[in-house]
Amino acid sequence: MVRRVKKPARIKTETRIPAHKYISSDSNLPVPSTVDEVKTRLSEIFSCCSDFIQREISCGKNRLIKIVVAYLNGFVDKRILNQDVIRPILDFLSNAAMNESMSISEQLKECVVVNNDIKEACNMQQAVDGIVSGEALIFIDGEETALVIGVKAPQGRPVKEPDTEISIRGAREGFVENLLTNTTLIRKRIKNPNLKLEMMQLGKQTKTDVCICYIKGIANEEIIGEVRRRLKKIDIDSVLDVGIIEQYISDSKFSLFPTVGNSEKCDKLAGKLLEGRIAIFCDGTPQVLTLPYLFIESIQNTDDYYDHAIFATVIRFLRLTALLLSTLLPGIYVALVSYHHAVIPFRLMITLAASRQGIPFSPFIEAILMIIAFELMREAGVRMPKPIGQSLSIVGAIVLGEASVAAGIASNLMVIIVSITAICSFVVPPLIRVIMLLRFTVLLAANLMGFLGIIILIVVVFAHLCRMRSFGVPYMAPFSPLTSADLKDSFVVVPIWAMVTRPGILRQEKAEGAKGTKRQEVMLNSDVQKD
Amino acid sequence: MEKERISNIQLFLHLSGFLFGSTVILSPARGAKNDAWLAILLGGAGGVLLTWVYAALATLNPSKTLVDILREKFGNIAGSIISVLYIWYFIHLTSLVMRDFGEFICTATFPQTPMIVVIGLFAIVLVYVVNSGIEVMGRLGELLVPVIPIVIGIISLSLITTHDFTAFLPILENGMEPVITAAFSFISLPFGETVVFLMLFKHLNKTDKLKKIVIVTAIISVIMGVLVFFRDISVLGSDLVTRATFVPHLVSLLIPGLNVEPLVDINLLIGGGVKISVCIYAAARAVSQVAHIDDYRKLTGAITTFCVVLSLWEYENQIEMFNWAEKVWPYYSIPFQIIIPLLMLLLSLRSGKRKSTAS
Repeated sequence: MVRRVKKPARIKTETRIPAHKYISSDSNLPVPSTVDEVKTRLSEIFSCCSDFIQREISCGKNRLIKIVVAYLNGFVDKRILNQDVIRPILDFLSNAAMNESMSISEQLKECVVVNNDIKEACNMQQAVDGIVSGEALIFIDGEETALVIGVKAPQGRPVKEPDTEISIRGAREGFVENLLTNTTLIRKRIKNPNLKLEMMQLGKQTKTDVCICYIKGIANEEIIGEVRRRLKKIDIDSVLDVGIIEQYISDSKFSLFPTVGNSEKCDKLAGKLLEGRIAIFCDGTPQVLTLPYLFIESIQNTDDYYDHAIFATVIRFLRLTALLLSTLLPGIYVALVSYHHAVIPFRLMITLAASRQGIPFSPFIEAILMIIAFELMREAGVRMPKPIGQSLSIVGAIVLGEASVAAGIASNLMVIIVSITAICSFVVPPLIRVIMLLRFTVLLAANLMGFLGIIILIVVVFAHLCRMRSFGVPYMAPFSPLTSADLKDSFVVVPIWAMVTRPGILRQEKAEGAKGTKRQEVMLNSDVQKD
Repeated sequence: MEKERISNIQLFLHLSGFLFGSTVILSPARGAKNDAWLAILLGGAGGVLLTWVYAALATLNPSKTLVDILREKFGNIAGSIISVLYIWYFIHLTSLVMRDFGEFICTATFPQTPMIVVIGLFAIVLVYVVNSGIEVMGRLGELLVPVIPIVIGIISLSLITTHDFTAFLPILENGMEPVITAAFSFISLPFGETVVFLMLFKHLNKTDKLKKIVIVTAIISVIMGVLVFFRDISVLGSDLVTRATFVPHLVSLLIPGLNVEPLVDINLLIGGGVKISVCIYAAARAVSQVAHIDDYRKLTGAITTFCVVLSLWEYENQIEMFNWAEKVWPYYSIPFQIIIPLLMLLLSLRSGKRKSTAS
């Protein structure tokens, strides 16, 4: 499924040597045995790296034992490195209490270094990998292996409320760029050893840490296997954002509808995991992927579960209406005005004719112009620094609202329709871009064939949606195929105490007899709760 | 392809959509004027029996399509010949439904659009749907078919003020004869056509409830038919019902202060779409089985194109179309809808008995 397209390196400079190139020449070479050789190898590899620091220390009796400490500046916590690693080593080496039967580095590893995260690097590749991922390298003269000690300094911004997903109730914590902070945030919510975190590295150049997260016993093993398989197939230079992974692993490569979800909110992700979904964390990205992602999730929100079920249901219907309106409204207007005059009530017809008087464009052109103007404003508003955003909204209000009508470019009704469309499209954030494109298509269809065109387009879009799957799960579930047990969390939200079962569609391999599964899941549910 | 499955509810919705498909436009029962409801009931009873025959045939020959059954019962050569005839029948049926659809749109909604544009556009969409496979067709039906009763409900409720509930009287003014003729047409037009589903039944994931589903669906659609007829006649009166070209369309125009004409289009598009897609699928599967072609998807495009051309070519005008649907089609269909299936049922019953006695 995953295309093996090699991505070009993002930064192309003359002096840059691909990282895997130098390593390929001596990747399996052992670590040189003398301090001087190690130093020259490392300075060759890290030439022109101003943040690379290596220091030679002579210690022991008569200053005979030489050791090398190498690390990347700013990446490691120097206080920990000095107090917990270097000082004990120096103390130990100057004492005579050495065990002659063991090598020095083994003794250091076993009983000297205070730090817990300690590995042995047998070849240059491992040593260099350790240094570039923020660990300190310690080499003792005459030894065969070097020690790689994890003294990474905590980095990145503090945990904050995400700007992209605002909720009224529920936790404010959002994910940050640091992978370990993110996994800790999830662990904090699901205190259960069944929460599994599988690490892997992706990207030949960037060696980005990627983590598959799921709850064993709840998530479908087949889907987990499929995720692993697809992630392993990814063969690219760089993974700078989780969105790159998303594009590689999503099912329908050419579909505009998302088949992989993403979230920045911890409680939302915890909820998804508990439903049996799988999450993919990527170091350096605050967004976390969730999958399988179904259509219905676009209109779900965490607030729905924290509030009274009736409010949640009403809001779900509002969102659905917004989804339909923002896609269809301009198209319906154009179809009405250009084809189906008879359908418009007489009085409205008069108002309409009056407002359209003197407008030089056809309704279609008028609609396209106004919608493009709105989309431009939206795009500008997204990229703009906050202080300037306000002036943009004023300009937009005047241009779109007042001046265009006064100048006779657009009708009043069209302004209203575009505004409603615009407001509605913000109600369903995951689908904003799909809706935008669909809106233009609907407009075109309406202009060509009136309502018939719109209906045919709807049938095509529905057929497309029914055809799609996200990691083997039908995209339009629970509506089609109809899974009556899962309708509890669709357009209607039942109270949280009545939602006793998990989404059955995610556990498809056992879903032959729906009744059996229900009981099974209730049992599983109670099991997990006991744990 | 073989693994594709549809669920009970998907079959139910597909069958209802199919039965309701073109009756939205053409109601063969209206030859009986005021007594069409009697004709619908009588014809419906016959139709339920007929669909039961198909369901029984499918349960006696599990996981076999019509072509398999024909070959088994009539021998390889004769079976293949009859299959080819059936393929023709399916293709003809598709083209008739397409023409109904095109006639309606070109008369009621888009008088200036050439019919080939309307039918061709519709056909392209349906080829996409059919090529997505039976599973996707089932799921799409699940989303779209429930719209039909909703639309009918909306129209009927908004007409409630214009009803004249005595319009269907007097009963049996012209005697039984027109009722029986109309009932016979009604058996064949929606119900007999469900013989196409013999190509689909094997995809059902739980075959034990097949007969029940089929009969329930048939009964529901009879009830719907009667209700819709009463609505039509109490709104239009018996004279207009007989003379109007497209009854549901005319009815929808009568809603005071509101014009819901596009809703009728929606109904027709969904019902007709279900009907045509099932027929194309059945025809393509039958051809692929007869000619030993591994994938029916290679054939859908060609078959649909043929149907589009045929649909444009087969009638000169609407009058001919209605005439054909009411006077020729029922008799033309007898062998396909009644004789051959009954024969197959008898043969299957006999072989079933022989098997049980042998064991």
